[in-house]
Amino acid sequence: MSDEPINEMFDLQGRPRSECARVVAYLRGMDSKRLAELPQRAHQMFQTMGVTFNVYGDDEGGERIFPFDPVPRIIPKQTWTELEAGLIQRVRALNAFVSDVYGERAIIHDGIIPRDLIIGSHQFRHAAIGIKPRDGVHVTVAGIDLVRASDGRFHVLEDNVRTPSGVSYVLENRRIMARLMPELIRGLRVRSVENYPADLLASLSELAPDAVDSPTVALLTPGPFNSAFFEHVFLSHQMGIELVEGRDLVCIDHKLFMRTVSGLRRVDVLYRRIDDDFLDPVVFRPDSLLGVAGLTAVMRAGNVAVANGIGTGIADDKAVYAYTPAMIRYYFNEEPIIPIVETFLLRDTDVRERILKDLDRYVVKPTGASGGYGVVIGPQASDEDLAIARKQIEADPAAFIAQPVIQLSVHPTLTGSLNGDKTALAPRHVDLRPFVLMGRKPRVLAGGLTRVALREGSMIVNSSQGGGSKDTWVLED
Amino acid sequence: MLRRVAASLFWAARYLERAQWNARLVDVNYSLLLEVPPRDADPWEPLVRITGQYDSFAERHSRADEGAVIDFFTFDRENPSSIRNCVEALRNNLSPLRHLISSELWMAVNGLYFDAQEWSPGILATQGVFAFFATLKDRFYTILGIITNTLPRDSAYDLIDIGTLLERADNVSRMLDVKYHFLLPRLEDIGGPADLRQWGAVLKSASALEAFRKTHGNAITVAGTVDYLVFEPTFPRSIRFSIERLAAALERTTMAGADQSSSLTFSKELLERLRSTSANQVIADGLHEFLLDAQSRYARLADLIFREFMSLD
Repeated sequence: MSDEPINEMFDLQGRPRSECARVVAYLRGMDSKRLAELPQRAHQMFQTMGVTFNVYGDDEGGERIFPFDPVPRIIPKQTWTELEAGLIQRVRALNAFVSDVYGERAIIHDGIIPRDLIIGSHQFRHAAIGIKPRDGVHVTVAGIDLVRASDGRFHVLEDNVRTPSGVSYVLENRRIMARLMPELIRGLRVRSVENYPADLLASLSELAPDAVDSPTVALLTPGPFNSAFFEHVFLSHQMGIELVEGRDLVCIDHKLFMRTVSGLRRVDVLYRRIDDDFLDPVVFRPDSLLGVAGLTAVMRAGNVAVANGIGTGIADDKAVYAYTPAMIRYYFNEEPIIPIVETFLLRDTDVRERILKDLDRYVVKPTGASGGYGVVIGPQASDEDLAIARKQIEADPAAFIAQPVIQLSVHPTLTGSLNGDKTALAPRHVDLRPFVLMGRKPRVLAGGLTRVALREGSMIVNSSQGGGSKDTWVLED
Repeated sequence: MLRRVAASLFWAARYLERAQWNARLVDVNYSLLLEVPPRDADPWEPLVRITGQYDSFAERHSRADEGAVIDFFTFDRENPSSIRNCVEALRNNLSPLRHLISSELWMAVNGLYFDAQEWSPGILATQGVFAFFATLKDRFYTILGIITNTLPRDSAYDLIDIGTLLERADNVSRMLDVKYHFLLPRLEDIGGPADLRQWGAVLKSASALEAFRKTHGNAITVAGTVDYLVFEPTFPRSIRFSIERLAAALERTTMAGADQSSSLTFSKELLERLRSTSANQVIADGLHEFLLDAQSRYARLADLIFREFMSLD
C-alpha cells in the first residue's frame, strides 16, 4: 500500500476521473466570485431552514450549523452496486450476531468469538436476553463508516448500530445542492435520496406486533439539548409521526402509551434515539429522566417494538469488529465484500507488547466509544498523549484496539471564503457513512453522508470536532 | 396531540401576541408624544406600569424616559417580556414543533429570531423609530397571516388560538386599567382635544381606532372606549370577542377529550359576565376593580387550561 492518499476527483496525472468530468468542468466554468459565494449562500439556507446541531458545553447558545462544502462527491454506479451488496451483507451479519448473542450463542459455542470478549463488553446488555423482535430484526437502522484507503478500495472503519445519526444532513444537503447547482444535478442523473423517510417508516412499521393493523409509530428523543435533536424533529416530521420525550410516555399493564390532550394513546413501535442506559430506569440507570419506566417489560411482553433493539451495541464494539469477517463467513458462508481495517486486540499479551513498542505508528481506539471520542492517532499524538494512552491500555487492555493509520482519501473542497482568505479548492480528507435499513427486506439509501475534515491535513471528520459534510451523488448510469 | 406539545403551542402563541402588542404600544405612544405635547414629566412611565414590571425597571433605570422605555420594551434581555425575549421564546417553543407547523411559519419565525439576535439600540438611530416598528409590526402580521393561511383548523390551531386570545384579553385589560388611572384625573381636559387624542391612542394601541369611528363616529369618550375594547362583539381585539372565540376553541378541544371540562365551564361563565353588563355599569361600579378581577380570572383560566390539557402529572 502506497502511503499517499488518493484523490477522489483527480487521478495521479491530475486529470479529472471520468465520472467527475462534468462536475469539474462545471466548477471551472463558474466565475470565481460566484464560486466564492457558494458557501455563504449555503450557510444562509441552512440557517433559514433551521438545520443545526447542538454542541455540548458551547457558550454561544450551543446551536451551530454543520459546515457544508458545496463540491459534491461522486460515486459511479458500478462502485455503488458493489458497496450496496457489501453493506447489506454486513448489516445482515451484524443483526444475525445480535440475535445469536442474546439467544442461542452458537457463535460462542462454536468457538468463533471468545465468550469473555462478548460478556465482558461494556455494550453487552443482560436485559436483552430473550427479547425476540419480529422477524429477528434487532438492527433496523445502521450507519456504516467507510473510508477509501490509498489502494483505492473502500474499507469499513467502524459500524454504528445503536442510534446512528447524520441522515438528515444527507437529505438537507441535497435540497441545498438542488438550489445551488440545479443544472448540474439534473444533467448528471443523480440518484434521489428523498425516499428515505418513507423507507424508514416502512421498516419500522414492519416491526409492529402481529395483531396491529396500522401501527402507531413514535420517535423517542432525549429532547432539545441533544446534539442530534434537529434530526429527530426532521425525521418525525418527514414520517408524519409523533416526536415524544420520555415524559410523554407511560407504561400501564405492559402496554406503552403517550399522553395526549384527549387522553392516553397506544404506541406500537418506538424509534428510540436515546441510548440503552437511559431507556428504562427500572432496568438501566435509575437516575435517568429521559426514558420510560417499564419499557423493557413491555418489549418482553411483545406489546411494543423498539428500534434499534436493546443491546445492539455489542455488534459495533470495536473488539467485536475484528471478528466481523469471521462472522460473515460463519453465518452465511460468504466472503466479506467490503474489507475491514487490520485490527489488533490489545487484550492479547503478545500483540499488546508488540504494539506498545511502536505506539506512535498506530491508531488506538476505545472499544466501547463512538463519535471519534477517545481515539489517539499515533503519528499526530504528543509524547504526553502517548504516555497517557499507554497507561490506560496497561490498566485495562481489553478496552482498547489498535489499527494501522489509514490514509483517508482526499476530495477537492472549497477553502478560504469563510475567513476572508481567497477562495480556493484544496484537498481535504473524507469518509462516507451510508445508511442501511433492515425491515422485511433491506433498503439502502443511495450514497450516504460524506464527512470532510475541513482543517488541512486533519483526518478527524466528526461534526463535534471540526468536520463538515458534502452531498454524495450516486450516478444512475 | 401530545400534552407537552399543546403547552408549547399555547406559549408560543402567547409570546407572539405579547411581542406584537408591545410593538404596538411603543409605536402608538411614540406617535402620540410627537402629536401631543406631554403633560407629565415622564410620559413613558405608564407603559412600564402596563407590563406589571415597574419595580424591575426602576431598579435599573432612574427615569422612565423614551430611550430607557423603548429599550426595556424592545431589546432588554433582562425583561422577560421584551420583544426580543418574546421572539426568542416564541422560536424556542416552536423549534421542537417544526414537524407540526408549516415550513413557511417556521422560516418566518426563525428569520425574525435571527434578526432579533442582531438588534442593538443603535438600530433605532439608523432605521428610525417609525420605520423600525412599522417593519416589525408587518413581520408580526406576516406571521399571523401565515398561521391563518397555512395551518389546518385542527387541535393545534385551537391551542394557538387559545393562547393568543387569553393573552390578548389580558393585555387589553391591563392597558385599559393603567391608561384609565393615568388619564382620568384630568377632569379639565374631558372632551377637549388632548383627551380625544389620548383615548384615541388607547384605541389605536388595540388597532381599534378606525373600526371604532365606523360605529361611534368621532366622539371618543371614556365610556365609548371601554365599551368598544371590552364589550364590542364584532371587533377582533375586544375582550368579549376574544373570550367568545376562546370558549369556542376550548369547546372543540374538549370535545375530543374529557366530558366535563372545568376550563370550558369557567370560560363560559366569563363570557356570561361580559354579556350581562355594560361599560357604563362597570365604570359606575369601579372600572379598576372590574379589570383587576378580570385579570385574576384570566390567570385562573390559564391555570385550569394547563391542568386540563398540558400538565404531565
